[in-house]
Amino acid sequence: MFSSADVPREHYRALHDLLGALTGEEFHARCIARDRAFRDQGITFSYGGEERPFPLDLIPRIVPSEEWAVIEQGVTQRVRALDAFLADVYGPGEVLRDHILPRRLVASSVHFHRQAAGVKPINGVRVHVAGVDLVRDAQGAYRVLEDNLRIPSGVSYVVENRRTMTHVFPELFASHRVRPVADYAAHLLEALRAAAPAGRRDPVVVVLTPGIYNAAYFEHSFLARTMGVELVEGRDLVCRDGVLYMRTTEGEDRVDVVYRRVDDEFLDPLQFRPDSLIGCPGILNAARLGNVAIANSVGNGVADDKAVYPYVPDLVRYYLGEEPVLANVPTYRLDDADERAYVLERLDRLVVKPVDGAGGYGIVIGPHATDEELAQVARDINADPRGWIAQEVVHLSTSPSYVGDRFAPRHIDLRPFAVNDGKRVWVAAGGLTRVALREGSLIVNSSQGGGSKDTWVLAGQEPQREVVAETGPLQRRPDVRPGSPLDLGPVMSSGQQQQQQQQQPPPC
Amino acid sequence: MDRVNSWRLLVRHSTTSRYAAEVFASYNEVRLTPMTDRGQVTVDERVEVVPAARLFRHVDYWGTIVHTFDVHGRHTELTVLGSSIVDTSARRVLDEDATWGTLALPTLHDDLYEYLSPTRFVAPCDTLSAVADDIRTRAATPSDAARMAIDAVRDRLVYERGHTTASTSAAEAWEQRRGVCQDFAHVTLAILRAMGVPARYVSGYLHPDRDAPIGVAVSGESHAWIDAWIGDWAPFDPTNGEPVGERHVVVAQARDYGDVSPLRGIYTGAAATDQDVTVEVTRIG
Amino acid sequence: MLTRLAESLYWFGRYVERAEDTARILDVHYHLLLEDPWVDESAACRALLEVMGVECGEADTCDIDTVTRALAYDASYGGSIVGSMSAAWHNARGAREVISSEIWECVNATHIEIASRASASVPQPHKFFIWVKERAAILAGLADSTMSRDDAWRYLVLGRSLERVDMTARLLSSRHQAVWGDGGWTTTLRCCSAYESYLRTYQRAVDATLAAQFLLLDRLFPRSVLWALRTAEQCLAELDPSSSRVGFDDVARRTLGRARTELEFRALDDLLGSLPDHLAQLQNQCTAAAGAVADRYFRHTRPLEWTA
Repeated sequence: MFSSADVPREHYRALHDLLGALTGEEFHARCIARDRAFRDQGITFSYGGEERPFPLDLIPRIVPSEEWAVIEQGVTQRVRALDAFLADVYGPGEVLRDHILPRRLVASSVHFHRQAAGVKPINGVRVHVAGVDLVRDAQGAYRVLEDNLRIPSGVSYVVENRRTMTHVFPELFASHRVRPVADYAAHLLEALRAAAPAGRRDPVVVVLTPGIYNAAYFEHSFLARTMGVELVEGRDLVCRDGVLYMRTTEGEDRVDVVYRRVDDEFLDPLQFRPDSLIGCPGILNAARLGNVAIANSVGNGVADDKAVYPYVPDLVRYYLGEEPVLANVPTYRLDDADERAYVLERLDRLVVKPVDGAGGYGIVIGPHATDEELAQVARDINADPRGWIAQEVVHLSTSPSYVGDRFAPRHIDLRPFAVNDGKRVWVAAGGLTRVALREGSLIVNSSQGGGSKDTWVLAGQEPQREVVAETGPLQRRPDVRPGSPLDLGPVMSSGQQQQQQQQQPPPC
Repeated sequence: MDRVNSWRLLVRHSTTSRYAAEVFASYNEVRLTPMTDRGQVTVDERVEVVPAARLFRHVDYWGTIVHTFDVHGRHTELTVLGSSIVDTSARRVLDEDATWGTLALPTLHDDLYEYLSPTRFVAPCDTLSAVADDIRTRAATPSDAARMAIDAVRDRLVYERGHTTASTSAAEAWEQRRGVCQDFAHVTLAILRAMGVPARYVSGYLHPDRDAPIGVAVSGESHAWIDAWIGDWAPFDPTNGEPVGERHVVVAQARDYGDVSPLRGIYTGAAATDQDVTVEVTRIG
Repeated sequence: MLTRLAESLYWFGRYVERAEDTARILDVHYHLLLEDPWVDESAACRALLEVMGVECGEADTCDIDTVTRALAYDASYGGSIVGSMSAAWHNARGAREVISSEIWECVNATHIEIASRASASVPQPHKFFIWVKERAAILAGLADSTMSRDDAWRYLVLGRSLERVDMTARLLSSRHQAVWGDGGWTTTLRCCSAYESYLRTYQRAVDATLAAQFLLLDRLFPRSVLWALRTAEQCLAELDPSSSRVGFDDVARRTLGRARTELEFRALDDLLGSLPDHLAQLQNQCTAAAGAVADRYFRHTRPLEWTA
């Protein structure tokens, strides 16, 4: 937020002034209003087995429109390239034959599901929804930290954070033109409908959830509600002869598109874990037959495998013939002997991550780690070099946050959400800004004590509005017809009232 | 040019599962249709299921033909019958002169990565690695190494049913000194891969009679052998040590048994009590 | 609609009603015990627990605190107020997309608050009972004003109505036990919010027969058994509009129809003369109807276990 000590960056000035005018008590009252709103709506996440309201920091993060344009372009590019990559590795495998990416990395990825080979999505899309994690480095450039192409979550917080902010801090919005985020569900629904089998005129879309005990159940329910589609569990579905149905009180209804929030390993007990109670056997073969679309596709995890990540810039060049708009964070491949030796010498200055970890678990941040931790991770790397990557420490940008009862700088990242309908990749104007609430921490995951901020993408110029103004002041008045007066019930005349009062003398 | 010696075989592979009580919602994938590949043409193929079910066909990652079906009605017995007519001949290996240098090429190593890596059945163990090291120091070429590996396996293992199961690993079979074709294949794969020779598991059928008369149905069996990459894929049959030819019918080629099991499925209800498998092979031309 | 959602709505309706009715029943007993100095508290409490289907050991002393703990505060028991509200919350959570967000927020706020309300009210349970009735009333009002009259609504109302029949029958059973004699009917009516309505209808002092008759058979009062039976029947009719020229295929509808006609067309003396038997039968019919509804509409809602 600040360009140098105490001088806010240009686009934060109005916010800085407004917040500066509030007393601590006034600000605290807004915090209470926020907590009540989240609690009543049941917007919670699981933290150590306990449901807690999602911590929203009331100070928004502001992204100017020109910065956003770069993010939008970069995320779109990345999604297109990774979608093409997935079509390739589950199809002809040209990228492997051309040795752009070692087959070894694909074949040894735990998320490379050979069961999905040859499944051709109806409209060609495998990445219907992506969440691309970005950080802003010391030079002010956004870099990609990781891609989430399986079940990217958090978008419900983006929308609910905004709704809560407009309730709690309406005056902030009066002084900024912030692009809306509430249209996410409409775009998602369009993309899902576009994935439906050909010839289904009014395709039936459902959201598949593991159930109410899942940590992200709120989001599943949110998406189903805002799209106006059924939220189903595995036990509601049945495959018959390669067609998917849901069990209703009137019989079985055909399902065309499943936006699933169940992991690959649990989705189809015929193909994966037979002990899954939350999946639907036969669903992958139904997708293979083109009778149902699964979004996101099965096996997408090979493209967001952290060992594949260093190659994504090459994949962008290979599939799109373009230079990457967003750079990666400098990354070392630990199954390369030279790079491994280099990394092992400098562990205390690097970040080491497990390749199939999620939620910030297992990450070792060199500069913050103890000697024992470093020794342990060195042993782990030597035991399984394919299981780890190392990255330079990125000095995440900070943003002022309300912690305890005061404002303090905290590290932040940004997860924009992209929706792909096969013709166009649309990036929701905003995204989830996660904030590491512990002082000095670089880990922003909510499971590790992180919170979030509303992310404001400022609107650029909108030329259409200006044109309307030129047609003259009279025309600008909206065309309003006056309504007729409201009907009212009978009213006693004042004489009547007086007489009624006079009937009884006052008691004293 | 030599006339290629060719057989036409009719293979009927029937599997019946019986359950202790009624089961329902049964979902299955079967892999029992011979592939069309070098040296083999599948002329006709059919899969039937009782109770009747609609079948769908696709080709999996390894190139195996898969039929899928589901049965929803209650049943106590499920029969799957695969019949096919296949023309077979000796496999021609275009190149068997790869050197150890060829196999060390990084690009080749990467292209054949999946056939060089350990798997659940073909996991490395100290004993097998020692056997592999010994062969590797003595073999001049990968081709020699493949033959020596087959000899080593045949010296060690005795063919004997009932000592191993469908889930026995290479190391376990080596320790037990006996096994069936699946075990012979897994042990051979383990040794070859430990030497850096790419090798794959082949499953299919074998006609038991070298001089099979035409038109006589005989009881055959599911069989497994291996392909080693020694410049090209070359087949070896470690179980009987004979060349792979007209009598062999290829259904699948992959990393190990786990990728090719003929019948895989899930259902709801009582446990299966037994399974009857019969394979009948007839030379018809 | 999805069978699983239909089942969740049905149970949501039942559990909210159960929480409310249990609060009402406990409220009656609490007050009756205060008002009646001669009653044998232990016997009255045992009778109540029995009527509510809770086993109580012979040796233990049983007083109103025992009863309140078991039927109001015991979170582990699905028949207590706290347990019912928690079950209602779980069902609502699984059906969030078909109930309005206002209903959800109300259920959720109730769920969050109920434990602290319960513990704060231990010295004055009446306050807790009032609060539960109010929450139930808000939920009913929100359902009424925010839900479309589609199948989701019908399953909810069906569940609520069946539960009301059952619970009102239990309330009457508990009142009719020999322990109470003929007193306390005013309190009973009050706790069913039926006192004013009773007075306007009969325009005379409360008497045992008339009060029972009112709670059982009044055609206009919405908490009477007859009203709830009719509502349940109507829901079933709308859920399956196909009608044949002869009889009804739907077992649940036949059961409820029979229960209603037996109440409606039986001679009053006969009915009130052997009221305990009729009430017991009514509860059996409720159970049978609920079973038939589950059989017909809620099959396949359990996950299957797969064998490889």
